[in-house]
Amino acid sequence: MQWMRMTGVWLLAAGLLGITQGQDESYKKGPDSVRKPGVPQGTVTKAKWTESKVFPGTVRDYWIYVPKQYDGKEPAALFVAQDGGGFVTEEGAFNAPAVFDNLIQEGAMPVTIGVFVNPGSIPPVEETSKPRSNRSYEYDSLGDLYARFLLEELLPEIGKSFKISGDPRRRVICGNSSGGICAFTVAWERPGEFGNVISHIGSFTNIRGGHVYPALIRKTEKKPIRVFLQDGANDVDNLHGNWPLANQQMAASLKFTGYDFQFVYGEGKHSARHGGAIFPDTMRWVFRDWKEAK
Amino acid sequence: MRVWLFPLLCAGCLVAQDMPLSQVLVEGEAWQLMAEGYGFTDACAADAEGNFYFTDVKNGTGIFKLSPEGQLSVWRDGLPGISGLQFGPDGKLYACQGKQERLIRIVPGSGEVEVLVTGVRPNDLVVNAFGTVFFTETKTQQVHAVSPAGVHRVVHQGDIVRPNGISLSPDQGTLIVSDHGGKHVWAFRVESDGSLAYAQPYMTVVTPYGTDESKGDGSTTDAFGRYYVTSEVGLQMFDPTGRLGGVIASPAPKPVSVEFAGPGLAWIYLAADGKIFRRKTASHGVLFQSPPVPSLTPPAQTR
Repeated sequence: MQWMRMTGVWLLAAGLLGITQGQDESYKKGPDSVRKPGVPQGTVTKAKWTESKVFPGTVRDYWIYVPKQYDGKEPAALFVAQDGGGFVTEEGAFNAPAVFDNLIQEGAMPVTIGVFVNPGSIPPVEETSKPRSNRSYEYDSLGDLYARFLLEELLPEIGKSFKISGDPRRRVICGNSSGGICAFTVAWERPGEFGNVISHIGSFTNIRGGHVYPALIRKTEKKPIRVFLQDGANDVDNLHGNWPLANQQMAASLKFTGYDFQFVYGEGKHSARHGGAIFPDTMRWVFRDWKEAK
Repeated sequence: MRVWLFPLLCAGCLVAQDMPLSQVLVEGEAWQLMAEGYGFTDACAADAEGNFYFTDVKNGTGIFKLSPEGQLSVWRDGLPGISGLQFGPDGKLYACQGKQERLIRIVPGSGEVEVLVTGVRPNDLVVNAFGTVFFTETKTQQVHAVSPAGVHRVVHQGDIVRPNGISLSPDQGTLIVSDHGGKHVWAFRVESDGSLAYAQPYMTVVTPYGTDESKGDGSTTDAFGRYYVTSEVGLQMFDPTGRLGGVIASPAPKPVSVEFAGPGLAWIYLAADGKIFRRKTASHGVLFQSPPVPSLTPPAQTR
């Protein structure tokens, strides 16, 4: 019967849709993303940055992760994440402190200081007013402003308390969405400071002109940057652009120019789930030859 | 970028929702010509009843009023060269009269003119709910403020090549200024003493190919906190975090002033090429003479 057949088609369609929706939720943290008994635990300290000259008037929270193995004698590697608050929470998609504890103990990554930075906002004068969000301005803008904030303001201050490697191969910058393009921009502008980029669901779209990177990569002498990209087929398509296409363009351009890169393309949506689930392996890949770099 | 996905990404960080043009423009609603035959229409303003006010800064001597139904009248005559208008919380109409080198306000009914500042060439202004007047002076690259007590001072100088249009966020905590000679719209925090802090080239404006001169001019804000700025390439809309939402095509060359008015303040009025146009929108404006209000949140939409 026609009606029966139609119903069958709809049921099949609904089933496929269900599978697709389920695929984002199916990305789950593995054993390296949870605390393991016997593994030394690092410390996470929260702080506030309120004196930016690059972004006047902004305030932001940041967290510093220090592994138990850090002794201040040898310079530690550096990992910087944008939207940092989402990376340090145990309940978040990444649980970076636990991942780092596990991988450092295993020897898969060096002793690493983690700096997890939130975007700035300019607090309001009146309680009834909203803060001026500076996230898009800081993360989506091309150019070196945000790199300067990190390298001239925040990291020198942290460098007073910790011995951090100056070798770009041992310095990683990471982020999701606008934080992902931000991470790429920092390394693109300062490859001598950051030699590794991790971008999850990166916004290489026209929020503030970032869609030009695939073209720039092809016509710019290759920079000494190792790039990890993750995106999903169900990421967004909106006024700023199409995230799956933009990330595929990025991967194609990195390949064309001969970059040391990896592109993980899954089924995920605009969420941190896939990037979070594979984060330990991503860190393994980025630091696969860390013992050669001091 | 859908707002409901962001808690997964970063709990507690400030993120904004996508604001495509489709949240504002209504399918099938085109620009309507409301008035024409002027030399240079400018100084768009609105009142709580949805009446719309404008001037002919080049040839006219009057302040014209368009009722929500489209009835045109002369609200006040004998005041040539006005390029910026807005009602204050005192019900008076504040005006930039650059050619006469003064900032004035007009008492409704009597039409009496009160002079606030002389020796300046104000271009455009905004009056907040406290009665502080902020105005741009394009040639000196200055933003001025006049306190409710009448104290006049320069609150920003430099950075902006040709400061022109000026507006506020719905909560009146952020002031924005367009740059006629540059490609940014600048944002400031409004301090409790009426000064401005933390200037930032917050929005990047689309410019014609081959130039960084946006011709950014008249500016306004809707109840959702979106900013609208007239420019060479059209009417540009920005979301509250400074991201370009899109460019609305101008019905005529050289759009210079914009305001929400008409029934429910839901129509966007545009002064361009000596004419006045309006277009029905899915949004509505805010009046800064009224108390500050939080921005509304539109329903999620990605196209």
